Amino acid sequence: MADEDDKRNSRVPAVSGAPPKLGRRDLLMGLSTVPALGLFGYAWNRQQQYRRGREAAAAATPAAAAGLQEINVALLGAGAQGQVLMEAMLRIPGLRFRAVCDIWTEYNLRRVVNTLKRFKQEPNGYADYREMLDKEKELDAVIVATPDFWHARHATDALKAGKHVYCEKEMSNTLEGARSMVLAQRETGKLLQIGHQRRSNPRYIHCYQKLLGEAKLLGRIVTVNGQWNRAVAPDLGAPDRYAIPEATLKQYGFKDMHQFRNWRWYKGLGGGPIVDLGSHQIDIYNWFLGAPPSGVMASGGLLYYDPKTHEWHDTVMVMYDYDTPVGPAKAYYQTQTTNGSQGYYESFMGDQGTLLISESELNYAGQLYRDPNAPAWDEWIQKGYVSAPKEQEAKEQTGSGAIADVRESVAPDQHTVPVSLRDPYHQPHLQNFFDTIRGKATLNCPAEIGYESAVSVLKVNEAIEAKSRLSFKPEDFKV
Amino acid sequence: MRADAPDLDGGIGIAEPRERGDLWRFSHEAMHTVFEVYASHPDERYAAQAAQAAFALVDRLEGDLSRFRSNSDITRVNQLTAGESARVGEAALECLLIARHLYDVTDGAFDVAIGTGLPSLEIDADDFLIRATAGGVRVDLGGIGKGYAVDLMAELLEEWGVERAFVHGGFSSAVALETPAACDGWPLTLSDPREPSRVFSRLSMRQTALSASGVRKGDHILDPRTRTPVRGRLAAWVALPRPGTAASGHEGFRLAPAAVADGLTTAFMLLGVDRIAALCARSPGLEAWILPDGVSACAADLLHFNGRATPGDDDGGRGRQAK
Repeated sequence: MADEDDKRNSRVPAVSGAPPKLGRRDLLMGLSTVPALGLFGYAWNRQQQYRRGREAAAAATPAAAAGLQEINVALLGAGAQGQVLMEAMLRIPGLRFRAVCDIWTEYNLRRVVNTLKRFKQEPNGYADYREMLDKEKELDAVIVATPDFWHARHATDALKAGKHVYCEKEMSNTLEGARSMVLAQRETGKLLQIGHQRRSNPRYIHCYQKLLGEAKLLGRIVTVNGQWNRAVAPDLGAPDRYAIPEATLKQYGFKDMHQFRNWRWYKGLGGGPIVDLGSHQIDIYNWFLGAPPSGVMASGGLLYYDPKTHEWHDTVMVMYDYDTPVGPAKAYYQTQTTNGSQGYYESFMGDQGTLLISESELNYAGQLYRDPNAPAWDEWIQKGYVSAPKEQEAKEQTGSGAIADVRESVAPDQHTVPVSLRDPYHQPHLQNFFDTIRGKATLNCPAEIGYESAVSVLKVNEAIEAKSRLSFKPEDFKV
Repeated sequence: MRADAPDLDGGIGIAEPRERGDLWRFSHEAMHTVFEVYASHPDERYAAQAAQAAFALVDRLEGDLSRFRSNSDITRVNQLTAGESARVGEAALECLLIARHLYDVTDGAFDVAIGTGLPSLEIDADDFLIRATAGGVRVDLGGIGKGYAVDLMAELLEEWGVERAFVHGGFSSAVALETPAACDGWPLTLSDPREPSRVFSRLSMRQTALSASGVRKGDHILDPRTRTPVRGRLAAWVALPRPGTAASGHEGFRLAPAAVADGLTTAFMLLGVDRIAALCARSPGLEAWILPDGVSACAADLLHFNGRATPGDDDGGRGRQAK
C-alpha cells in the first residue's frame, strides 16, 4: 500500500507549469512546504487538466462568455454586512469589483480586498469615499453597507456622481436623511435599491403572489404576529493591534473604537434592535397587507444592558393598526436581545388560514394551516402552490352511502410553502438590482418603498418616547 | 465564567491546568455540538469579545457548509446534475479540496460523499467552481467541518492577540495554540469512548491540532467503500502540528491541520494498521493512536504511530504500544 502512496506522490513533481510561488493557484506546493501536510498533496494533476480545459474553452471573460454586460461595482463599507453582500456578489456572474472603501483600513478593508483578489478581482482600496467617487470614473454601481447615519450622505453623493446605488436598510437613521435619498434618486434618475432582501426572496414572492394574491389561502388577514429574539451577546470588540487612530474615528463621527464597533446601539448613529431587526419584518407586514400602518403604539426600554454603552432599547414591543384594502388589521411585533427563543418569523393570520414564514427556512419550513371550515386546497396542491399533506384527511367515502369511515384518529392537514431559497440570502435582491441596471427587471425595493418602511419603523422609537398611540397620515409615507 | 474542567466525553479531554489565574472558558452551540474557547488572557472582556468573534465565524461557516441549510454552498453542490457547476465560497472550496485529497490518500476510506461518487465533482480552484460530471453526489462535510472551523477560530484568536488558547468543537476536533504562562502544553487526555473516566493517555500539546473518532456502545461507523459496519476499532486519534505563519497567510489557500486530522481519524477507523503505520512513517509530525476493539480494551492496547520516527528506523513508525 505504501507503494501506492509513492506513486501518488511521485506524480506531483511531474505536473508541468507549476507556479513559482505559494499562491492561490498552488495549494499543493504550499502544503509541501509543511512536512506533515506535505504528504497530502492535493489532486493537483486532475485540477490542472481541468483548468487547462476550461481556459481553452473560455478565452473571454466570464461575463462576456455569458453574454452579459459587465457591471463595475464598488463596495462602500466592508464590515460584517458588507462582507455578506460581497460573498453573495461573488456568486453573481458579470460583476467587476473596481473599488472597496472602509475607514478600518488595517482590518476589514485589507481582508475584503484580499478575498476579492483570490477571486481574481483587482479592486482599489480607499479609506475616503469621496476620493473613491472622484477617482473611480468607470463605476456603474455603489453598494452601501456603512452605518445607518452615513447612508444618506453616501447614497446621495454616489447618486449625484452618476452611480446606481444599492443601500442597506435601514435607509437612514432619520426621516430627513431617507427623504433626501428619495429626492436624489428622482433628481439623478439613477437606480436606488434599498436592502430589504426578503422582497426578492423567491419564498416570500411565492407567498405574496401565489398564496395571498392568486389563491387567497388565508382569506382576510386580520392579525399579524412576528418577532426577532436574540440571545444575550457581549459587545463587539476589535483586535487591539488593529485599532483605528482616534483622529480618524472622530473625523467619521465615532467617539471611540467601542462606539465604532457597536454603533447600532447609539442614538444619532443607529436605531437599536427595532431598526436593525424589526425593519426587515415590518417591511413584510406592509408588503403582505398591501398598506403602510395607520397607527402605532409601542413599549420599549433598556432593561438589561449597560446604559453607558447602550443608548437604544434592548427590548421593544409594538402594536400597529392597519387599514388594508380589505379591512382593518392589527399587527404585533417584538424584538428582544436577552433570549433567542424561537428566533425570528412572521405569522399572518386570516379567517381561513395561517402562514408562518421566516427567512430562516431551517427553523421555519413555511408552515401553512388551513382552517377546517375553509375551502379545500386541492387545486393549489395540484398546482404546486402548497405542499401535499402528509396524511389525507378523513373524507366522505363517495358511493358508500356512509357519512364517514370511522377509524384511528387522523391528524389535521399540514402544509408548507414548497419554494426554497437556494442562494445566499442577499443574492436574489442584489441580482434584481443588477438585472435592473441591465434593463431586464424592475427594482423590488425602490427608494419609495424603502421610505415607507423607514417611516413605519422609525416611528416606533418616537412612540416609545411619547408613551401614547401615534397616527400616520397617508402623506407621511410620501416624499 | 472561570473555566472548570469539563466532563470528559470520550474523544479528547482537557485536564485541569495547573495555573488557573487568567483562564477563561466560553461556549457556543453550532454544527450540532458545542464549541469552546479556553483563553488565557489578563482581560476577560477582551477574551470574551475575541471568543464571540470566533463563534460568529463558526456560525457563518455553518451557513456555508451545512447540508441541512437549503441555501448553503454544499446544498447547491449536492443538487448539481451532470454537467452543471456551482460557484462556491472560500470555505466550501477549501473543505472540498481537503476532502477530495483525503479521499485519494486513503483510497476512499474517508469519503465526504459516502460512496455517492466524490470523484464526479471537479474542483476548479481558480474560479471557485464545482462542476459535476455526474449527478447524485451527496456531500456531507460532517467529517471535517468542525476541524475546519476550529482551524479558522484559532487563526482568528491569533489575529486578536489571544495566542494562549485552546479551541475545540464537541471535544472531537481541537487546536492547541500557545499555552498558559505556567504550562509547557495544554494538558489533554485520550480516553475510552465507552467509559470516558478511563484515561488511556495524557498529552501535553501546543501548536497542534488533535482530532478523535470513536464508537460508543451501540454505535457503528459505515465503511463508505463497502457500506457495511466497521468492526475492530473503538477509537482513533490523530495529531498534526500547526503550520507556521510563514506557511499559511492570506495569499494562498489555508493549511487546515484540524480539518485534515478530522478526516484522518475517520479513515483510521477503517484502514489497516500497516497502512496507517506507512502513512505516519512518511509524514513527520503526524501522530496517531488506535484503540482496537476487544473485551478488555485498556491503555496497553492503545497503538501509537509516530511520524517523528527517523528515516531508516527499523519499524518505520509502525504501531507501538503506548507507554
